[in-house]
Amino acid sequence: MLPNLKVENLSCVRSDKSIFDDVSFDVLPGHNIEIIGSNGSGKTTLLRTLLGLITQDRGEIVWLDDAGKYHNYRTFECLYQGHQLGIKNLLTVFENLNITKHAKGMSQEDIYKHLERVGLSNVNELASNISVGQRKRIAMAKWLLKEFKIYFIDEPFSALDDTATLLIEKLIKELNVKGCSFVITGHRPSGIEATRVEI
Amino acid sequence: MHSSIFDSLSIILKRDLMIAFRRSSTYITPLIFFLIVVTFFPLALGPQESLLSSLAPGVIWIAALLASLLAVETIFSEDFRDGTLDDFFISLEPSFILVFAKVTIHWLITGLPILAASSIAAIILYLPLDSFIPMLLSLLLGTSFMSLLGALGAALALGKSAILSAIIVLPFSVPTLLMGTSVITSSLNNQDFSGFLMIMGAMLALGIPGLCLLTVEALLLNYE
Repeated sequence: MLPNLKVENLSCVRSDKSIFDDVSFDVLPGHNIEIIGSNGSGKTTLLRTLLGLITQDRGEIVWLDDAGKYHNYRTFECLYQGHQLGIKNLLTVFENLNITKHAKGMSQEDIYKHLERVGLSNVNELASNISVGQRKRIAMAKWLLKEFKIYFIDEPFSALDDTATLLIEKLIKELNVKGCSFVITGHRPSGIEATRVEI
Repeated sequence: MHSSIFDSLSIILKRDLMIAFRRSSTYITPLIFFLIVVTFFPLALGPQESLLSSLAPGVIWIAALLASLLAVETIFSEDFRDGTLDDFFISLEPSFILVFAKVTIHWLITGLPILAASSIAAIILYLPLDSFIPMLLSLLLGTSFMSLLGALGAALALGKSAILSAIIVLPFSVPTLLMGTSVITSSLNNQDFSGFLMIMGAMLALGIPGLCLLTVEALLLNYE
């Protein structure tokens, strides 16, 4: 089984300060990577570097294509969720899911089903009126719209109660079975099965 | 790929228009500002028809230009704050589409209301009826170009002071101002104005690819 993403000796320097240095890991289908680090250790920068939003100073990021060849550019869609979650305050919970590219062709029932799955029932409430935890649940529902090869999630377990934490762990496990991988960040190891990378 | 690009474009347009209509200030503020600025002139100078109609091209264009810059800062700021900008840059669609969609939205919520209100402004300033069509054409091309310039200014000033984007854009809006006022002035003097309109059209045609690509690069600088 070939890794969908190979990261080799990745380093990033900004204003003469090393953000992270010599990071290497492989993302195999159905396996997870958990990047552990304290505040300001460069976890978000690392995720953004992997996705091409920031240019690395050293090292290589290579992606596997459908033909089994590696390239230094991405050939498949990934899901990225940063701290801000990509949720629009002036759209309802339902609209936040429905008016996205990945929900194209989905019926309203499918969307409701995904929202129910993550425990959201107030579907017509504006996102500005719901709690941080509930916003995280909208973000989780987005994971279910499409099966991505790799999900890049920045601190998925922060600001969550125990029920939501268990739900995330369950969703990740389910998607792993389908061959999806997660690259997540956190301050300490979470309960999911993953290869830990400390930065 | 093509259908995917059009899907992305239509989703951004639908989502942002829905948000703009729920936050009515985004399209009402530039409109009210435009009409207030225009109305101040007859109040300050008195109802002298010949004076007002000779000033009308400049007054309408300066008011339109300033009004269209009012909402410039908001073009990307909300998407930057809530993380939807990241979504777009990591998708496999060309980032040009995002910028083009955002420029279109900006024009629809500022340029279009200004265009609609310009006839009222023209009546207030005693602009002859014959000059209405040239005025509308110049504003159509000019406000579209201003939205493109505004997007570049907004991208360069992203995450910084709100007024900065307008300050960046203003010096570059001088050619549009000159061409726009020349169209209306020429029509007032019964002269041919098509040359000015052609220049404005050419600026817009070159601005769509050129300024959209520059805006993409300016947006990406915010991640570095």
